[in-house]
Amino acid sequence: MNRYFLYLVFLNMLINVIIFVPKILIEHRYNGSVMGVLIAIPIGIGMNYLYSHSLNKFPGQGLPEILADSKHRWLVNLHLGSIQILWFSAGLITLLGFIDILSRFVNPEMPKLFLITIYLAAIFLIIQLPTKRVMYFLEIVLFLNTPLIGFIIYKTLTSEFLSWDSILEVGTHLFEKPSLKAMAAATYTFSGFTNLIIFNRVIKEKLKIWNFIIILFLGVFNLFTTFFIPIGFHGSDGAQEYLYPWISTSDSLRLVYSPIERVLYIFLMFYMSISLMSISIHWHVAFELLKGTFKEKENNKKNWMIMAAFMCCAIAGVLFLNTVLLNKITAYWMILLLGVEVMTVSIFFIWARRRTA
Amino acid sequence: MPSNKVQSIKEELKEKIMQSEDAVFKELHTKEKYIEALYIKTISDETVIQDYVVKPFFEIATAETFLAYLQSHPKVKPFESEEQTLEELIRGVAVLFYQDFIFIFDSKVDRNNSVLDTTVETTIQGPQSGLSESLPTNLGLIRHRYPETTLNVESTTIGEISKTKVMILHDEKLVDQDVLRRVKEFLDEVDIQMFQTGEQLLDLIKKSNRALFPVMLVTERPDRVAVNLAAGKVVLLVSGSSFAVILPTVMKDFMASMEDIYQTYWVSIFLQVLRYVGFVTSLILPGLYVAVTSYNPELFRFQLALSIAGSRSAVPYPSFVEVVIMLFMMELLTEASIRLPKAIGPTATTVGGLILGQAATEAGLVSNIMIIIVSAVAISNFVVPINAFSFSVRIVKYIILALATCFGLVGVVLGFFMFLAYMVKLDSFGQPFLTLVQTKSTKE
Amino acid sequence: MKTLVKWRLIVISLSAVLLLNGCGFKDIDKRLFVVSIGIDKARNSTKKYLVSLKFAIPGGKNKANDFFIVTEKADSMAEAVRAIKTKVDKEIDFSHAKVFVFSEEMVKLTDNAGVYYWLARRRDIQEIAWVAIGTPTAMDVLKVKPKSEQLPSNALFLSLGKDGSETPYIISEFYFDMKKRLIERGLDPFLPIIEAKKDLLEVNTVGLFNKSKLILNLSQEETKILNHIMNRENKSALWVKTGNIKFIVNTTKIKTKYKIITLKGKQPFIKVSVKVNGTIEETTAKITNEKLSRYEKAAEKRLKKQIKGVLVKIQKANVDPIGFGLRYRSRHFNNNDWEEWQRIYPHLVFKVDTKVKISDTGLIE
Repeated sequence: MNRYFLYLVFLNMLINVIIFVPKILIEHRYNGSVMGVLIAIPIGIGMNYLYSHSLNKFPGQGLPEILADSKHRWLVNLHLGSIQILWFSAGLITLLGFIDILSRFVNPEMPKLFLITIYLAAIFLIIQLPTKRVMYFLEIVLFLNTPLIGFIIYKTLTSEFLSWDSILEVGTHLFEKPSLKAMAAATYTFSGFTNLIIFNRVIKEKLKIWNFIIILFLGVFNLFTTFFIPIGFHGSDGAQEYLYPWISTSDSLRLVYSPIERVLYIFLMFYMSISLMSISIHWHVAFELLKGTFKEKENNKKNWMIMAAFMCCAIAGVLFLNTVLLNKITAYWMILLLGVEVMTVSIFFIWARRRTA
Repeated sequence: MPSNKVQSIKEELKEKIMQSEDAVFKELHTKEKYIEALYIKTISDETVIQDYVVKPFFEIATAETFLAYLQSHPKVKPFESEEQTLEELIRGVAVLFYQDFIFIFDSKVDRNNSVLDTTVETTIQGPQSGLSESLPTNLGLIRHRYPETTLNVESTTIGEISKTKVMILHDEKLVDQDVLRRVKEFLDEVDIQMFQTGEQLLDLIKKSNRALFPVMLVTERPDRVAVNLAAGKVVLLVSGSSFAVILPTVMKDFMASMEDIYQTYWVSIFLQVLRYVGFVTSLILPGLYVAVTSYNPELFRFQLALSIAGSRSAVPYPSFVEVVIMLFMMELLTEASIRLPKAIGPTATTVGGLILGQAATEAGLVSNIMIIIVSAVAISNFVVPINAFSFSVRIVKYIILALATCFGLVGVVLGFFMFLAYMVKLDSFGQPFLTLVQTKSTKE
Repeated sequence: MKTLVKWRLIVISLSAVLLLNGCGFKDIDKRLFVVSIGIDKARNSTKKYLVSLKFAIPGGKNKANDFFIVTEKADSMAEAVRAIKTKVDKEIDFSHAKVFVFSEEMVKLTDNAGVYYWLARRRDIQEIAWVAIGTPTAMDVLKVKPKSEQLPSNALFLSLGKDGSETPYIISEFYFDMKKRLIERGLDPFLPIIEAKKDLLEVNTVGLFNKSKLILNLSQEETKILNHIMNRENKSALWVKTGNIKFIVNTTKIKTKYKIITLKGKQPFIKVSVKVNGTIEETTAKITNEKLSRYEKAAEKRLKKQIKGVLVKIQKANVDPIGFGLRYRSRHFNNNDWEEWQRIYPHLVFKVDTKVKISDTGLIE
């Protein structure tokens, strides 16, 4: 069992609350979400298996190193380029989404532009670390937060206001034609494996089948919680009215004996670090890929230029995108991501097979 | 050696050394033989010279027998070169000129070889004595606790003027060769005039000379040294300092007290958890107070929010000013009680802590809750067992406080995680400073 | 020189940060906490609502906590709050508003959705605030200051929350649950009714909604039975009269299950089974432990009658606070299940099955 691999996948499962996955799923609850989710599970697991299996043939190497001596330079650049743009935008969506949440719930009177500076500072500190150190940091963050996640999920599942009838009512719409948007959103849960492009550097041993079984169980449980728990709390008809179903769900929990009575704030504090980590991981991948695209020697000036570009994108995003627009874009972005993932995985699988055969 | 050469060396040495008042040149005569001794009496032990040179000189009759005696004596070394002899002479040896031979007689006085009690890293149970200020005694103490043939001792000198002798100890079997190489490289690069004690290395490790966190551990406990040697670490002993330096050190080592070994399992787990909780508390509590009272009072329960609002209603300035004032007072108090002689120390804390705190709330300068927070921060800061580290933590809390003032709750949480990220980034001779699972010898 | 430039940069950026600061920074003593919100129907006015906010005044060292109420007539909540802002000296903070009281007249109006949704739309209002109906007016409920109350409105918090008194006559309702019920097909809202007496607040009845409008008020005993059916509270009491003996069962556990059975060609019915465990607390004549089963039977019969009465009453009013409709929808895969249910519900039959287990007669026989 390789814990680093699990962390990467698990992180994506946690972050889907911020990146509008529950919103998209709940929007299509009567027309194809349930089936979409069911289809997404085998697709997600399958891609996980194929990709990590083929990357596993190159232990301790990231994709830029593996492809470094390839003859088709432009193909490599296209391959790496498309992934880095997608992965950068994944981080960007998370960042913008979470900044929006923070400016709604925690600092309503603070300009978003101001709020984003501290996030960018923290992110840039982390993405410059060596890949191994990023992994160590991820481990610490998850270690600090996992008990809290467990506690909040336990609280929601045991709450008397969780209406199982509402959940089942949505479940009865199982046989609708699956919705592509919902399916793409659900596969995002599993797509943490794409981080292996860079993070394969820290994975030295073979991935056993146990990893994928754990991912299967975690994924199913995660999809269940992201999709159904808001429905249980806010009703099969009412849940879609909320902009952030999970945030409102966490506000519907009350801790009678805790010094912080509103779970919302515990939840937000915990997501502050999780989203920081998720953005950093995604951007670290994009950053390293960008460095790997140019074959020159590393220099500080170039790193700063890349980060300045990242910063400009983030600031532009904050200035020009509002939540509703971001939500709509994300739904289509998910479909694009799914397409690119399927393509990347299959191309790389075939390539790796030929290479090692 | 031809006698004219001996003569010239003798003159040379005398010329270089005799202008100082404490230099002694002595001639002894008997019928058959004649010896001259040159030494500096303030750093040489004259009784040793008396016992091993003067007395035998008069007791042994023939010149040949005395020569044989000198050549076989363990404290006597033969002459090598003039510079080396001069070097040794100013460290306290006596140079003996006998017939056509020159001998170097070890008569160094070892003044500070008494073993001190531990004063900084005290424990309730376990050994109570620390290291001494004498290098050989310290080495002896450690060898005594670590009887392994694989214990390797090398020595080098640091400091242009001080020429301080530094011993590098490690267990050949357990040490990570990569770390050892880095340590030696580092010691070679050290550029300093006066090197007095191992603590100076803490700042020298950073090229910019502005380190925030120590990445080596300075300890006064021989038992800690022995335990760390067994863990494969490198230990530096500095001549004239009663502290040893242990490298590489990571966060875990700074949070460990020797007591953990001397307690039962659950007690030591409890103590560890307590320390980490104290560490986090002292870091974020001031920032959290500002963030919660000024940005997000909804975080509190209603009852608490109301009582804080009530106790703050008389305070004329914003919460962060209140916190800064109180923290500043606390730092002054801590600093003052270190400087004060032991007899007055408690008075300062009583006056400062009790009377000042009470009066400040009475006068409405700070709120009651604030006093509780400041004292909680102060107390929990001292829970960190290694002083060098707890001083660093003292500074970091101001950074988090500043972030909290600007960004509220987000500032506190992100500030804390940025601090963690900084610690993950730090490395101590190739070892990451902070990881959840400390893997042994990872080469990056 | 280079380090100097670097330092200058840091100083400039830091001072910029400090200058920018001031957005959102507001000390806790510069805020006025709203503890409860009351909404009445405005009388003798062209405006629709009378909104009252109850503010807490924090007590100092020798001063007890106090409160004051500011009211405003307006057509909408937002308007009212803006107007109230001009009447107070500090920033109004809704983050500790934990009780919303609507007057009975107000909830009988039909188009209150604006008010109900205003509460959800605002980010600072808790979803876990309690909602209730106040009589005679919401304002009167806010004004009451019980003797045992230390903090403003704390008596309300304690009685509506489970951390204070536990009684089967209070069915408290959180705001987020009410909002769910406002829109969920097959599940209707209900609110507890708070009655303001001189120095006391009495909460022991409940009002049932037909989605947006109050339709039916249940009596105290009916409220208790509804509580039993909804499994909200275990600690309760059953009054039973058999022959000329009257006894009271103190319950330790009540569990209700129901199942909707629709067989082809037969009249659809709901099978409700209730399980009660308890001990005898008070009796007018001696009851021995051997004969307990006889009294269990009597209690079962009595409970069955009560439950059936309440269920039929609710059905007659065509409201569904228990969620039978939702249960039906969740068990049927077709898309028009809601329309089907609307046809079925009015002529549904309830088959109630009760099981009472009395373990002993208390400390004495």
